[in-house]
Amino acid sequence: MLEIRDLHATVADKPILKGLNLTVNPGEVHAIMGPNGSGKSTLANVLAGRDNYAITGGEALFEGSSLADLEPEERAQAGLFLAFQYPVEIPGVSNMEFLKAALESVRGAQGKEEWDSVTLLRQARAACKQVNLDASFLKRGVNEGFSGGEKKRNEIMQMLLMEPKLALLDETDSGLDIDALQTVAKGVNSLRSPERGIVLVTHYQRLLDYIVPDFVHVLSNGQIIKSGGKELAHELEEKGYGWLTGEEESA
Amino acid sequence: MSLSASALAQELKTQALANAQTNGSAGDALAALEAANFPERKTEQWKYTSLQALADGHLNATADGELTQSLPALSDYVVTINNGQLVSHNLPDGVSLSHDGPAINGLQTPFAFYNSAVASQPVVLTVAANTRIEQPIHVQIQSASDAPAHCNPRLVVVLNQGAEAAVIEHYHAEGQALTNAVTALITADNAQLTHYRLQGEQASSLHIGTLIIDQQGVSKVDSYQLMTGNRLRRNDVRALVSKSGAELNMKGIFVVRDKSHVDNQLCVEHSVPNCESDQNFKGLAGESGKAVFNGRIHIHPGASGTNAELSNKNLLLNPGAEINTKPELEIYNDDVKCAHGTTVGQLDAMQQFYLQSRGIPAAEAKRMLSLGFVNELLMTLPHEKVAEWATPWLEAELAHTTPAGDRAA
Repeated sequence: MLEIRDLHATVADKPILKGLNLTVNPGEVHAIMGPNGSGKSTLANVLAGRDNYAITGGEALFEGSSLADLEPEERAQAGLFLAFQYPVEIPGVSNMEFLKAALESVRGAQGKEEWDSVTLLRQARAACKQVNLDASFLKRGVNEGFSGGEKKRNEIMQMLLMEPKLALLDETDSGLDIDALQTVAKGVNSLRSPERGIVLVTHYQRLLDYIVPDFVHVLSNGQIIKSGGKELAHELEEKGYGWLTGEEESA
Repeated sequence: MSLSASALAQELKTQALANAQTNGSAGDALAALEAANFPERKTEQWKYTSLQALADGHLNATADGELTQSLPALSDYVVTINNGQLVSHNLPDGVSLSHDGPAINGLQTPFAFYNSAVASQPVVLTVAANTRIEQPIHVQIQSASDAPAHCNPRLVVVLNQGAEAAVIEHYHAEGQALTNAVTALITADNAQLTHYRLQGEQASSLHIGTLIIDQQGVSKVDSYQLMTGNRLRRNDVRALVSKSGAELNMKGIFVVRDKSHVDNQLCVEHSVPNCESDQNFKGLAGESGKAVFNGRIHIHPGASGTNAELSNKNLLLNPGAEINTKPELEIYNDDVKCAHGTTVGQLDAMQQFYLQSRGIPAAEAKRMLSLGFVNELLMTLPHEKVAEWATPWLEAELAHTTPAGDRAA
C-alpha cells in the first residue's frame, strides 16, 4: 500500500529525511517514534504534500503511484489522510461546508455513492458522537476557537467520515488528557480493518497502550534506525532514545 | 477621446454647469457647483481614481435606456427609481414619500453638488415618529444606457423621533450608464436605522455616489455596504455624528475582479462628546482589479469621550491586483479612544493546504477561503432576505474563473 524507498526530503531546502525506508501493507498499524527533530512530522507532511516539503531523492509510492507526482488533493482523493499535529483554524468556513466539499471530492474520485445533504448530516452527527464532539461544532468555523483536544477530535471525526485507505496521524496524542486520548484511540481503533493501513507518528509510548501497533520504528536523524514489534515501544519508554541514537536525550 | 486630467476637469465642469442651466437650477445648489473644482490628477482625495472614463461624454447625455434585468424584491415594500425617476412605490403605513425634503448637510464633492443642482425629483422617505416598520423598505435604484449617459438619483431617508426602520439602497445598472447618486440618512432622537447599500451594477457601468449619514439625534445607525467593482465606482461616505450618545456601525465588503475599480472614501465626523463609531470593511482584489479604501476618523475639539474604531482587512488574490488602504486619524482631544488597523494580505498557505489535504481542489479551496474571509461579515447581516440575496451574489463574484496561469499561485 505504502512503499517508501531511500526517501530524501528537505524542508525549506534543509535536508531532514536522509534515506528512509518503510513498507506499510493493508491491515497493518505502524508506529513511528523518535526524539524531537528526528523527522517524524516531516515524513507525515511530505507524504501529504505540504508546500516547502520537497522529495529530493528516493521515492514514496502509494498503491503504486509516486506521491511526488500528485497534488495534495489528489493524494487525499487516492485515499491518503493526514491527521494534523496542529489542525488549522479557518474562520468563516463552517465545518459542515468544509466536510461537504471534502467528501464530495473524495467520494466522487473514489467512485463511491454521493451523499445527499440529509445523509451527510446524519453521518457527520454520528461521527461527532463517536469522538464525543457536540454536533454544534459542525456549524462553527473549521477548528475556530476549538480547544486543543477538540481540534484533535475534529481530525478523527473527519477521518471517520473520509474512510481513508491509509491514515497518517501526526502526534495526535500531544496535548490530550487521558479521557480525550481514550476517545481518540477508540475512534482510530474503529477504523482498523484488513483493507486499511494506519501510521501513528508519536513521541510517547502512551498512545500505543490504546492503539496497539503491529510494528514500531525508531526514526533518528532522518532514517529508521530500528524496527520491531509493540514491545519496542515499551523498551523505548524505559530507556529513552539515547541507547539507540547514541545521544543524551531528556524526554 | 482622451484629455489631460486638468482639461477633463474643466470639460466636466462645463458640461455640469450647462446641464444645470438647462435644468433651470438656481440658488445655493448652483452656487456650490459653480464654486466646485472637479478633480485633477493632483487632487489628493482622487489620487487613485482617474475620471478618464468620463471623457466618453457621460455628462453630455441623460440615461433613458430600458432595463433588460430587474432586481428581485427583497421586501413587500419596494420603491423603484429608474434612470433617476421614481416609477413606482409601495410603502407601509407610517412611511410617506414626497419630493420635497430637508437640505442635505455635509456634501463635499463636485458630483454631489451637481446632483443637488439637477436632481429634479428627489425621493424623500419619512418614517413617522415612534413607528416601528417591520419589513425593510427596498429602494431599487436602476439605470440603463447603451451609449455613455448619466442619471442623478437622489434619496433622502428621514427617521423621526423614536422611529425604527430598515432601508435597502440597492443599485443595478446596465450598459454604459453613469449613476451619479446622492443618498442621505437623517435620524432624530431615539431612532434606529438599519441601512444596506448593495452595489452590483454591471462591469461596464459607472457609479459615483455620496452617502451622508446625518445623526442629528441620539440614534443608532447600522450600515452595511456591499459592493462589486465596475468600470468606475467611487463612494464618498460621510457620517455626521452630532448628538451625544449616538452610535454608528458601518460594515462593508468590496470585491474587485478583472479590471474593475472601487474607491471608498469614508469619513466619520465626531463633533460632540460621548459618541461611538465603528468602521469594519473587508476587501478582495483579483486579476487586475483595483480597490481603494480611505477611512478617516475626525474627532473635533470638544468631542471628548469619543470611542471610534476602524478596521480594513484586505486579501490580494493574485499579484496583478492592487489595494490601497489608509486609515486617517485627525484627533483634537486627549480623552478619546481610537483604534485602527488596515492590512493587505494573501490567502493563508496553511489554510489552503489543510483544505487540499482533505481532497478539495486548489481552485475550490481558494474560493472557499475567499468567501470565508467575507463570510464573517455576511453572517452578521440582520435581515435574512438580504443575506440570502447577497451571499450568492458575492460568492459568484469570488468564484469568478481564475486564468490558467494563476492556478498554481
